[in-house]
Amino acid sequence: MPRFVAFLFLSAALPVAANECYSVDPAGGSVTFELKQAGSLFRGAFRRFGGQFCVAQGRVAQIDVWLEPASVETGLPEIDAALKAVEFFDVAKHPRIKFASESVQARGDRQVARGMLEVRGTRRSADVPFRLGESGGKPVVSGTFTLDRLDYGVGTGEWSETRWLGAEVKVEFSAGLSRR
Amino acid sequence: MANLRNSTGSYGIIAQAFHWLVAALVLAQIGIGVYAANLPVSLARLQWLSRHKSLGLAILTLVLLRLGWRALNPPPELPSSMPRWERCAALATHRLFYLLLILAPLAGWLYASAAGLSVNWFGLFQVPDLVSKNNELAELFKAVHIGLVALLASLVAVHVGAALRHGLILRDGVMHRMLPWMPRRED
Repeated sequence: MPRFVAFLFLSAALPVAANECYSVDPAGGSVTFELKQAGSLFRGAFRRFGGQFCVAQGRVAQIDVWLEPASVETGLPEIDAALKAVEFFDVAKHPRIKFASESVQARGDRQVARGMLEVRGTRRSADVPFRLGESGGKPVVSGTFTLDRLDYGVGTGEWSETRWLGAEVKVEFSAGLSRR
Repeated sequence: MANLRNSTGSYGIIAQAFHWLVAALVLAQIGIGVYAANLPVSLARLQWLSRHKSLGLAILTLVLLRLGWRALNPPPELPSSMPRWERCAALATHRLFYLLLILAPLAGWLYASAAGLSVNWFGLFQVPDLVSKNNELAELFKAVHIGLVALLASLVAVHVGAALRHGLILRDGVMHRMLPWMPRRED
């Protein structure tokens, strides 16, 4: 039953047709993150991101998304510069964070994309739950997941200390999808 | 026991303890703040700035308690041998001191809040933010915090200079009222 509801929900936003692709629209969308610094939550955002969602038989079949860590914005220029440097995202060497789905499953009213997440040159299998909604007649994808920054080597040397800079990073995303 | 409270001739032990504790913490605090602010982004900077923020809130709390104690327990009067303008200057300096000891940490707290770098007090509990994250406000509060601390540091110099003048040149007992090891002058 939930699967059926999800199917209906999804088909309302995405017309039933074979292999249609939608691009992620960065305008109006957001990708934010939060982690603990000295015990308090600290937040930031990535401004440049994109990718595509492909639909087959009214279901999301393939997801390929990316973001540029060089577009990180915390409101503190010194911190932004440090995050782009080699100890964190090493943007000169790894300009893009990428996720490519291998399978997409509906679980209740949400879906889970299982795939490869590549951050700072490290590829790991990851599950990213998401929802498809609708805003102004346009499909909108949104979701939240957490990851361990140390799994991807984000924060080397003294920054692998997790008492002062938490290992767990919560990522929240939301973006409209435009027909290609 | 009577020594806990101020007399008309001397400060009591509690007022003296507040004075020297706040003095030591404020000097350490200025040292830590200047040191940490000049470090590049690093773990050491994160650690020292976090301690600076926790210590600043501790100082703010101590100063408020100290003001409460002072309200219940008026300070000894200044000797009538002092010229009127000097007594006025001493009163004004002390009032400005209390004002800055409240406003400087408050500006720091506002700065941390606006910068999105909230305080977890020595890792023990979360301190609420005073304002939500806002870059322009953060820059403003940073400038205000630094300005107030610079004023506070200048006032420390004036205060220490005046105290030493009383203790070493005038020898009128005014400085001795705040020294815990000096025999207490009775009312």
